[in-house]
Amino acid sequence: MSDTGLVLKDVYRVFPGDITAVSDVNLEIENGEYIVFLGPSGCGKTTTLRMIGGHDDPSSGTITIDGELLNGVSPAKRPITTVFQHYALFPHKSVLQNVAFGLKMQGMDKTAREQQATAAIELVGLGAMMHRKPRELSGGQQQRVALARVLVTRPKAILLDEPLGDLDRLLQMKMRVELRGLQRELGITFIHVTHNQEEALSMADRIVVMGDAIIQQVGTPTELARHPRNEFVAKFMGDNNVLHGTIESASGGNVVIDTPHGKVEVPGSGAAGEKGSMAIRASAVTISTDAVPAVNGVRVRLDFVEYLGDSIKLHLDFNGEPFLAKVDEERFGEVQAFEGKEVTATWAVEDGHLLEQ
Amino acid sequence: MVISLSSNDHSALDEALAEVAQADSLMGGSAAVVATTGPRRSPLMTLAWVLPGTIWLLLFLIAPLLMIVLVSVWERTPVGFAAFSFSFDAYGRLFETSVYLDTLKDTIFRSLLVTALCILIGYPIAFYLARCVKTVKFQIALFIVVLAPFWVAYVVRIIAWLPVLGRQGVINYFLVDVLHVVGEPISALFYSTFAITLALVQLYVLFMVTPIFFQLATLDNAAIEAARDLGATPGKVFREVIFPLSLPGVLIGCIFVFVLVMGEFATVRIIGGGTIQSVGTLVNDYYTIPDLPAAAAAATILVAVMTVGVAILLRFSKIREVV
Repeated sequence: MSDTGLVLKDVYRVFPGDITAVSDVNLEIENGEYIVFLGPSGCGKTTTLRMIGGHDDPSSGTITIDGELLNGVSPAKRPITTVFQHYALFPHKSVLQNVAFGLKMQGMDKTAREQQATAAIELVGLGAMMHRKPRELSGGQQQRVALARVLVTRPKAILLDEPLGDLDRLLQMKMRVELRGLQRELGITFIHVTHNQEEALSMADRIVVMGDAIIQQVGTPTELARHPRNEFVAKFMGDNNVLHGTIESASGGNVVIDTPHGKVEVPGSGAAGEKGSMAIRASAVTISTDAVPAVNGVRVRLDFVEYLGDSIKLHLDFNGEPFLAKVDEERFGEVQAFEGKEVTATWAVEDGHLLEQ
Repeated sequence: MVISLSSNDHSALDEALAEVAQADSLMGGSAAVVATTGPRRSPLMTLAWVLPGTIWLLLFLIAPLLMIVLVSVWERTPVGFAAFSFSFDAYGRLFETSVYLDTLKDTIFRSLLVTALCILIGYPIAFYLARCVKTVKFQIALFIVVLAPFWVAYVVRIIAWLPVLGRQGVINYFLVDVLHVVGEPISALFYSTFAITLALVQLYVLFMVTPIFFQLATLDNAAIEAARDLGATPGKVFREVIFPLSLPGVLIGCIFVFVLVMGEFATVRIIGGGTIQSVGTLVNDYYTIPDLPAAAAAATILVAVMTVGVAILLRFSKIREVV
């Protein structure tokens, strides 16, 4: 076990009524990492965050930071602070008082704490708003105040609970870059919770995908996007097609799976007769009017063309089951002509990959 | 009051409504809840919502108030007053002796004292109910228990102090017959400022508990969690976050208690036993003389003082900024 960074070991959280919110969580987070907990609501990600922050206690297991046990330590005494979901600013205090609050609690004298708070407020670009009350600020500005309020206490780690959830999309995109830039500049561990996979991919050093109270997969954005470990991750990361079937044969590092969609060949190993599932990213699928090949091709109907600006998402129908493809924006005229018609969807063997059962 | 039907007058109407609601609470009536948000209604619907309340207030608040002010400037006759005459004699009669002014001062002092005591006693009760009782069920049960005195009639609640504080009351019994600390029963226990203050606090403390309770119960827990997260001890969480955020409730409670005690009449009369006056009992005295214009003048000044008091409370606390 590592002596530095934040370590969660065998963490469980069981709520009264035998509801398991978090199960068997083992995770090592290095200092200075940007970690995103990703998962649907109720997957245990917020509970995990609350346990790290000290707002909830594990039923069993340990949480340590730089080797120091955090179990039972109150949130006030942890070197970790939280940016709450709806910011939880103090409505009766000005921006300056909000940001200086943590330092005031540490017993710092007024001049010193206001000086440091001012620096933090300027860091997040709100120098002109110093004496406003939170309700006089926009959502994005409130978010920055919340951030400055935790930064000023110089914690070892900052927890962010759906930090961009209250902002409109354009502002979200802007804040993603700002948050990431700020984190790099400060070198503090950020642990960010979201259900938005695009947000997770764009910000994280590593993503922790949670589902059904357990960690489904931990990996870098590219690992998760390219190699989702199981069906849950593949589906949650979006734009993945998952096919199930039975392994027919294995040879040369590839297996052939017999699925209701036809035979597919994917890299991997397995024994003939076992169940096999594979995932193929929508962007690896292309459509044409060619004949259906023997493997990795299906005859589908193009139901709907969704223009996304930089790419085109094709909603395909295979005997009533949805199938997705993503092609270049330049092909819009070509693919639109196929709308409502039968086409062939194909992909390369190396783009597919075998999922864990 | 003229109610315009043009649609861009909604905000004016809302403001008028808010003012009416404020006037209502000034008079110690139930606080009207004014919804200013929500979907835009048709002018006719707005009128339908506003009309009953407006008529009610016109008939039972504005009209009587105007009547009192009018009577106060009408001349006194042996049986009542001469309508539509005009003089300030009634006000002159009030200030011929120092009785009225002294009583007014006493009443203001008593109101402030009772309000302060209600905060001291009511706040902890409200705090316990709202923040220490964990389940909502238990919270409601306890709140009903706190409300229990209100199941008993007002006069009964006042008279109930007699067997406690009276010459033959429980306290005197203990002092004289059990502890033998005094030889004679102390009558001052009952007919005294002390007894009146005690009874008034008991009567009105709930008007303090209730708004504070609701303010505390609906506090943003995230702000409290954030304060703790930033290193605040429980005491600091209270001082820095919970207490400031509960001030609107305290303020509403103060308005209730202050206004109600300023207008007090029955408690002072029964427990004071005629030896202690309030502006309310003075008004009654003038009424029985009869000197109706002086009674009206005394009441007019009382209403004016109360209005100024509430205005000061609202002004200094900037209620709208806190909420």
